Amino acid sequence: MRKTFVVVLLALLLSLPAYAAYYPEYTGEPTTITMWAWTSNENYSIEEFEKVYPDIKVEWEDFGVHYEKAQTALAAGSGLPDVLMVEYSFAPEYMDIGAFQPINKWLDLDTFIELYGESALGWCTMDGEVYGTPQDSGAIAFFYRQDLFDQYGLEVPVTWNDFAEQARKFRQAAPDLHFNGPPLGYALWWVGLVWQSGVKMFDYDDGNWYIDFTNPKAEEVFEFWGELIDEGTIDVEMWWNADWYNSLNQGTTATVLNGCWFAEWLRYNAPDSEGQWRVVAPPNFDPSKPHDGMLGGSGFYVTAHSQNPEAAAIFVNWLNSHPDSLRCLNTYSNLPIMVSTRYEEILDEIAIEDSFFGGQVIVDTLWEAHNLIDTTFVCLPIWSNLDSALSLLLQDYVDGKIDRFADILPKWEAEVIATMKEFGYTNTIIGELP
Amino acid sequence: MSLINKKKIKSSLKAYLFLAPFLVAFGSMIVYPIGLGIKLSMYGQRGARMWYVGFENYTRIFNDPLFWESFKVPLFLLLVQVPVMLALGVMIAFMFETRKRSGAFYRLLYYLPYTIPGIVAGLVWSYIFSDSMSPLGPLFSLFGYTGKILTRGSVPSILLVIILWQFTGYTAFILYSSLIAIPREYAEAAQIDGAANWQIALRVKLPLLRDPLITLFIFNAIGAMQVFNEPRMLGDLVVLPPYYTPTMYIYSSAFSQGRFTYAAAMGIILAVLTCIISLYMLRTASKQILDRQH
Repeated sequence: MRKTFVVVLLALLLSLPAYAAYYPEYTGEPTTITMWAWTSNENYSIEEFEKVYPDIKVEWEDFGVHYEKAQTALAAGSGLPDVLMVEYSFAPEYMDIGAFQPINKWLDLDTFIELYGESALGWCTMDGEVYGTPQDSGAIAFFYRQDLFDQYGLEVPVTWNDFAEQARKFRQAAPDLHFNGPPLGYALWWVGLVWQSGVKMFDYDDGNWYIDFTNPKAEEVFEFWGELIDEGTIDVEMWWNADWYNSLNQGTTATVLNGCWFAEWLRYNAPDSEGQWRVVAPPNFDPSKPHDGMLGGSGFYVTAHSQNPEAAAIFVNWLNSHPDSLRCLNTYSNLPIMVSTRYEEILDEIAIEDSFFGGQVIVDTLWEAHNLIDTTFVCLPIWSNLDSALSLLLQDYVDGKIDRFADILPKWEAEVIATMKEFGYTNTIIGELP
Repeated sequence: MSLINKKKIKSSLKAYLFLAPFLVAFGSMIVYPIGLGIKLSMYGQRGARMWYVGFENYTRIFNDPLFWESFKVPLFLLLVQVPVMLALGVMIAFMFETRKRSGAFYRLLYYLPYTIPGIVAGLVWSYIFSDSMSPLGPLFSLFGYTGKILTRGSVPSILLVIILWQFTGYTAFILYSSLIAIPREYAEAAQIDGAANWQIALRVKLPLLRDPLITLFIFNAIGAMQVFNEPRMLGDLVVLPPYYTPTMYIYSSAFSQGRFTYAAAMGIILAVLTCIISLYMLRTASKQILDRQH
């Protein structure tokens, strides 16, 4: 008994300096910093933070998705808060046009890597400078309705071939229902599924932007979906509107591929379907080498307009890596998976059965899916243009202006290259990846 | 001499003092933003970085097919919605006139949609036409139609319905207030000459509504050119291109694609075009009135 006590004490003592190194002391004057974020109930983490750092007060404002506001402040040259929440897909654009300032002055790169892992940190880093910290994971997961799977005798797909087989079977058995509806638009989804298959479509390295949408692997992904869509097995659908939520709520859509944060969206937007949903890691082309990619997820960045970057840097690091904060984010903000390596420390206590998912311990499943991500890639700095270009092409396909679905990919690439040129990116390398 | 000058200066100073509240507001809220918009439109921009490009944005607009394509919907509204609404408005106004005392309830009823913000109306109507919630679905299926009501192709007609619903009552109300301002003697004189009620309405009163009709036409033409709220809300349920209307194109260019200066240039072109259309209407309309008087 005494022996364990000594060991625990020793371990604590040993670990203290290590943890202290993660969270440096604040050396400035008492201050108040501002933050824009749309994660719900962020105030619980802020309260914990202010206990540890009484000299830093955090004023949190929630404007919903605030890109339009941020773009305006950025163009005006003032008005950004100290800390800005930005999705990983939009972050490179903001980093590239000078919206953020580096924070590795207060914590060295190695510590950041230790806290968030190299691949996750990639979404907050450009040219060796760290601009923020990653919060939640967007690891892709396969959400499916157990009731429909039971009723129609479907099996949870392990490979994409299984997926296609089940989709065809379902269409025959229930022509009015949808097995899976890829989004009309929402470039994140399509890029995410290419990433999930283990390749990239673009990247940034050493001052150059690389664009290669039409590499064989990306083509394979688009051919796969194209075949199912062209033959009418599945239909592309408009996401995020009332019709779509109703289809999930009422059970007219059997499966959804989405980032793991979608577990919460389902809970709130499809409450009648409680107990019917289950979740697993997504299918793979080669099940012996399972892989995953991301779809969404956000980081917290220190803006160029911040008057107190030290306080802001200390805050974003504490917010997204300290177990006390991660616990709050999981409990109150309902984020299922945080990317910080320290998330593992609280995993045991939060991995509980979830009645919405029929008692499944979804945190375990999603954490496994998250750990299948071993790569990162920097998104092109023209995300909203890239996104709307795809929406238009997909609508053209729906309207019958494009015959073969897979033909969208090269057209999309051409649009993206043209926009990069329009915005003056001469450092673009086309047709290869680093 | 100097005395007169002093007096003059003093009196004009007084005048400006009285004008000051207006001038300050007008200068800071109208003139300055327009000036700033014109200045912005001469720059290229990426994030906080700006550089002078002269008229490059304008030449690009003239070569931008998307911008010109975005005028399709406003033109449709201008040619269909505006005349239909004015005709309906006149009819309703005449009906209002037959029940001046007891009709207050109906006037209120027709006016009500106008009090609902366009964005809210757009949202509610988008639900009315949606796939999963539309109360029209069962109605349509009675007639054997079970497909989608809200498609990209049907959006213009749906816009027509929403805008007519929103503004017809208001239009009728304006026309009604002009109608009751017409001296009763005119109708009485016509009646004595043996004119029937419909003849009085069409031959005597309708020509007297010309002025408010021209004003309403111009307001609605401007409204049609700048239509935004309704297609923006419908765009949640069906993919509409970001260049569906000129204002939508300007909005998405600035706020989602980060082309603020290009959007500023488009805004100025749109304002100029709207001005030209309004002026043209005013000129031709007043010319007709003058011709008639001669």
